[in-house]
Amino acid sequence: MTGVRAQLNALVAATTSLVLLAFLVPLGLLLRRAAEERAVSEASSRAQSVAALVALGQSPPPADDGPLVTVFYADGRVSGAPAARTDSVTLAASGRAFTARSGGGIEVLVPVLGLAGGPTVVRAYAPEPLLHRGVTRTWVVLGLLALVLFGLGVLFADRFGRRLVGSVTALAATADKLAAGDLDARATDVAGAELRRVGGALNRLAGRIQHLISDAREEAADLAHRLRTPVSALRLDIDSVADPQDRARLAADVDALSRLVDEVIRTARRPVREGAGVEADLGRVAAERLAFWSALADDSDRAVEQVLPPDPVPVRASPEDVSVALDALLENVFSHTPDGVAMRVEVAPSDGGGGSVTVEDAGPGLPVRAARRGVSGGGSTGLGLDIARRTAEAAGGSMRTATSRLGGALVQLRFGPPE
Amino acid sequence: MPHILVVEDDPGVRSALLRALDERGYAASWAADGMSGLDAAMRDRPDLLVVDLGLPDVDGQEMLRMLRAVSATPVIVATAREDESEIVRALDAGADDYLVKPFGADQLDARIRAVLRRSAATGRPAPSLTVGDLVVDAGARTARLAGRALDLTPREFDLLRYLTERSGQVVTKRELLAEVWRQPYGGADKTVDVHLSWLRRKLGETAQRPRYLHTVRSVGVRLDAPERP
Repeated sequence: MTGVRAQLNALVAATTSLVLLAFLVPLGLLLRRAAEERAVSEASSRAQSVAALVALGQSPPPADDGPLVTVFYADGRVSGAPAARTDSVTLAASGRAFTARSGGGIEVLVPVLGLAGGPTVVRAYAPEPLLHRGVTRTWVVLGLLALVLFGLGVLFADRFGRRLVGSVTALAATADKLAAGDLDARATDVAGAELRRVGGALNRLAGRIQHLISDAREEAADLAHRLRTPVSALRLDIDSVADPQDRARLAADVDALSRLVDEVIRTARRPVREGAGVEADLGRVAAERLAFWSALADDSDRAVEQVLPPDPVPVRASPEDVSVALDALLENVFSHTPDGVAMRVEVAPSDGGGGSVTVEDAGPGLPVRAARRGVSGGGSTGLGLDIARRTAEAAGGSMRTATSRLGGALVQLRFGPPE
Repeated sequence: MPHILVVEDDPGVRSALLRALDERGYAASWAADGMSGLDAAMRDRPDLLVVDLGLPDVDGQEMLRMLRAVSATPVIVATAREDESEIVRALDAGADDYLVKPFGADQLDARIRAVLRRSAATGRPAPSLTVGDLVVDAGARTARLAGRALDLTPREFDLLRYLTERSGQVVTKRELLAEVWRQPYGGADKTVDVHLSWLRRKLGETAQRPRYLHTVRSVGVRLDAPERP
């Protein structure tokens, strides 16, 4: 049971209990009192009727399941239910009729005056069971009724809570799907006017995100067209240059420009491609890329040490982007170190989520300027490390360069955990 | 002299294309939008069309479908979008080949020649290429070495076919990147090297002990039949 639902049930249970107690306890006491009064009234009536019979010189009627009637004659005889001649009887013999508590019950004493032998006293006694006859059963009925009412209250609260919590859970599930990149997810079948408003707002937000991504996708496609078209004209024009050396030099420059444009377009498309949620297993991607590069490593006599964790290392980047970043680091090693130079690749999870991949080699080391953005070196466009750095930063991480224990360069990419 | 109709809305690219085609011995004409291009294709009956997919009046894919409804003229599409889905849609709509911008005049020339050659040879099965014990069947996209089928990825097959078609010649990495990958060359690009290494592995050889694939240092690679002992 969810927290809100349980709290709602507890609240209704407490409220219902208080209301029932406030109602049933006084009612129970009232019923008890009424039963007592009824028993006293019956005893009094019985004593009066027996007193009338005794006054006429008749014998009292036999005992029944009502009050216990005892007649104390003046000559000391006692008839009816056995009872001791108490002080109350003596007091009643003086001519006073009264009611008194006795032995847990109530006795009604009625004197019969004017008889030949002296005053006779009629005592009708309602013992405790008679005094509270039917009260326990009434209380049990009331208790059962209270339990039923309590159960119904909690049941209704639970059903209402389930409906309420179900709607909130459905809204949360929709929000989770949207966060994970499923922009077709919509909140439906939401109960409650306020929650329906929240659901409507969430659906409108999802539609808006979809619309924005669609716009961004069109923008990115248009960006490719706008950037590549003039480069195309330039590339074709260069092929008309008569001097072969100039042509080759210009062609190389345009190729470099073209790769830069490709990277700009790729970067611009990243949020479009990734949508609202993205995740990759760093260890798995690293294993795939190392397998891809293994053939070239074999051909160039390189020993490649791999340190990959057995468990997944989820990071906040698409597998495609992690592949491109890692390829850039591996390609750097192959491009800037001689054949036969050993390399080491390690993937490790980070404290607090995310992970890092470290690529190091036993080559001559990293040029000082190489890690800076767009700096060319060693015949490359200088984009490799820049791509890797920006991929790591876009994933909430960073890039670090250092000298490896192997003697060459060390480049480490840190990625943040998935959102 | 083959007649090439260029359908391109950008004046800069269009004039560069026309100049490049003219320099390579083609008769080139042009249209600045899709409907004019369709009209010119019907009227002038060119040997081949080079069509930009980003036309102002009608979507390039749509123009291809309209053209294919009435004409079998070969078409090479030029696109600024390298998305595979975009290229597949263009080929499905009737394009015979594609070029991703930016591209060089030599690459365009080579593709025009290849498409025209395929167009002339339509109906004839593509011949198998044999180099030593290596047999490459371009039509079935299969390769066998000493009778054993090679398990190649599509890119590895394209690379092997390209090299087999030029067996005995040194092919530069720039050329391979342009022709097989259709990408500009970036100097330190190791893509070609990795695929060549995989090809070597599958051919049962290494760079140190080559049999078919020979690295020509600082130039490129050559596919040749191994010398018989």
